[in-house]
Amino acid sequence: MTTPAEHAITAQDVSFSYRPGHNVLDSLSLAVAAGQFLSLLGPNGSGKSTLLRCLLGELRVASGKVMLDGRDVQKYSPRELARLVAYVPQFPRSAFAFTAREIVMLGRFAHMGQLGLAGPKDLAIVQSAMAMTQTQEFADRTLEELSGGEAQRVMIARALAQQPQVLLLDEPTSHLDMKAQRMIYAMMARLAHDWPMAIICVSHDINMAARFADELLLMRKGRMVARGKPADVISHDVLAQTYDTEVQLVSVPDGPPLVMPK
Amino acid sequence: MTHMPDKDIPGATPAACAGVPPEDTAANSAAVAPCPGTAADQSTAVNCDEVVPPASVSPGTVTARKLLLWAGIGAAVTLAVLVACSLLGQYRTTSNVWQLRAYRLLASAAVGAGLASAGMALQGLLRNPLSEPYILGISSGAGVGVIAGLGVPFMAVGPQWLRSFLAQTPFWASTPVLAFGGALAACVVVYGIAQRRGRLDSYSLILSGVIVNIFNGAIMLTMYLFLDPYRISDFARWSMGQIPEAPDSGLLLVCCSCTLVGWLLMFAQGSAINALALGDEVAASSGVPVHRLRVLVFVLTGVVTASAVALAGPIGFVGLIVPHICRMIAGPDHRKLLIVSGFAGAIFLMLADTLCRTVGPALGVNKIPVGIVTALCGGPFFIYLLRRRLRETPV
Repeated sequence: MTTPAEHAITAQDVSFSYRPGHNVLDSLSLAVAAGQFLSLLGPNGSGKSTLLRCLLGELRVASGKVMLDGRDVQKYSPRELARLVAYVPQFPRSAFAFTAREIVMLGRFAHMGQLGLAGPKDLAIVQSAMAMTQTQEFADRTLEELSGGEAQRVMIARALAQQPQVLLLDEPTSHLDMKAQRMIYAMMARLAHDWPMAIICVSHDINMAARFADELLLMRKGRMVARGKPADVISHDVLAQTYDTEVQLVSVPDGPPLVMPK
Repeated sequence: MTHMPDKDIPGATPAACAGVPPEDTAANSAAVAPCPGTAADQSTAVNCDEVVPPASVSPGTVTARKLLLWAGIGAAVTLAVLVACSLLGQYRTTSNVWQLRAYRLLASAAVGAGLASAGMALQGLLRNPLSEPYILGISSGAGVGVIAGLGVPFMAVGPQWLRSFLAQTPFWASTPVLAFGGALAACVVVYGIAQRRGRLDSYSLILSGVIVNIFNGAIMLTMYLFLDPYRISDFARWSMGQIPEAPDSGLLLVCCSCTLVGWLLMFAQGSAINALALGDEVAASSGVPVHRLRVLVFVLTGVVTASAVALAGPIGFVGLIVPHICRMIAGPDHRKLLIVSGFAGAIFLMLADTLCRTVGPALGVNKIPVGIVTALCGGPFFIYLLRRRLRETPV
């Protein structure tokens, strides 16, 4: 167990509402240390994405605190924050026809000067971020010319080019096939342990998350239902309560049981 | 660069072989190459400072030298076009014909550069190919300001102090300021309608621009009703968009400098505008102050558009067509595009105005407003662009 000081990112009793009286997040707390891969799970509208946007500093919490490296997330300038936290969206898209390499270079924004002119160090970091995500082979193609999985890897490379301590992902695999999903989950697990960084990933695929994440956090109506190692969290009662539907668990030889709708 | 063979997990090459460590932290020295796994990896892990290949600049990378090169070529071509255009047309016997032509070409260049770069910045900022000062109502807002500045002193109605104040203020000072006021008001209204909780809705933006345009047009027409009947034809020509035959030197100086400063400051935001391509959330998470950037670019657009309108009236299509052509030629990078579009706009409008100046007398019409030419060229070209894009998109 790590002490609070070692946590890369913490949320203490965070509440948030878009309209007064309707809390999307209700005094929720979490802490993730470098080297930890946490998956946020829960039904639609449980506040997962809102929590992510609060952690990003994009939304200002109504009460409670989001601390990053021991400092309130709202106290950072955009550039300072971008050197600590990176974000990968659900759907990779680019309004203009940038190549994969140019998109990864956009991740260096907070490290470069006003004109964003790349130095040798920036080029080297972009190159290695692309090596880590195996995106070099299509470095000169635009996002539109890539498959969904390839495009999402480019977005992860872009996030890595920020050299963050915390990586936040919002359902990065929701539109991908099985191979691409597995590749991206495996990549997140490796990054968390090897970099090491704190990874928080919103997910709808509990089996994939259970297989690759270190811990799962189950949410319902803005509150935490359970948090812990996949094998501990995945139980019939907890899941039935979280998702409000009948589920069945199927044991498999290695790893936590598979979750299926009944 | 070393590659560890994939073990059990495909798709996850170790971070070690690349070494992208968190920077500016206590862990910096220790984590230069956070190395997983075995000692063998440790020994072959490469520090990114050592990796740096001396000439690893890929062909697409924008460098300071390339930007300077583009600026140099742009300036040279613009100057060549300026000289060539000044030689065209009938000679007149007046002694200051060269000075007048130079002024007129300078005014065209400033108006073209301003409108094109403003259109480019808005298209990038709003990720919307239809955004430009004219369509968003910024030009017509500036137009209301200019008509007010030039017309109010001669009106039969209105407060006496305002009329005498405007009549006493030199018009090279009053018109740009009033134009800027009108442009800024239009920006605030259009932006205010289209944004909700800091997010901009693309459709509302264009729609509110159209509405603001119609509203401003009505205000201008209302002002015409109170104008001196002998001056109405001047104003009517002005509202079609016309480069003045003999621009006032004071006005020219003020508007050219405002355009130049606005253009340079928009160029300085090129890198941030690039980052916006991936969406507001990703841009914000990579360090772009999205809201501040929007306000800044809108204000700069207002300054540059106000200068153009104060000089030549509301000219449409330059801010739309020129950026689209530039994107086709120069790619998606807005640092490059903001340089290129400025020069291209200047060249385009100098050529268009020279056409008006030389062809007009030949057709028996003395003055053709350049706004008519840009719209006549721009309309069909725009339709061609749209159709071409539709044909390229797979069904």
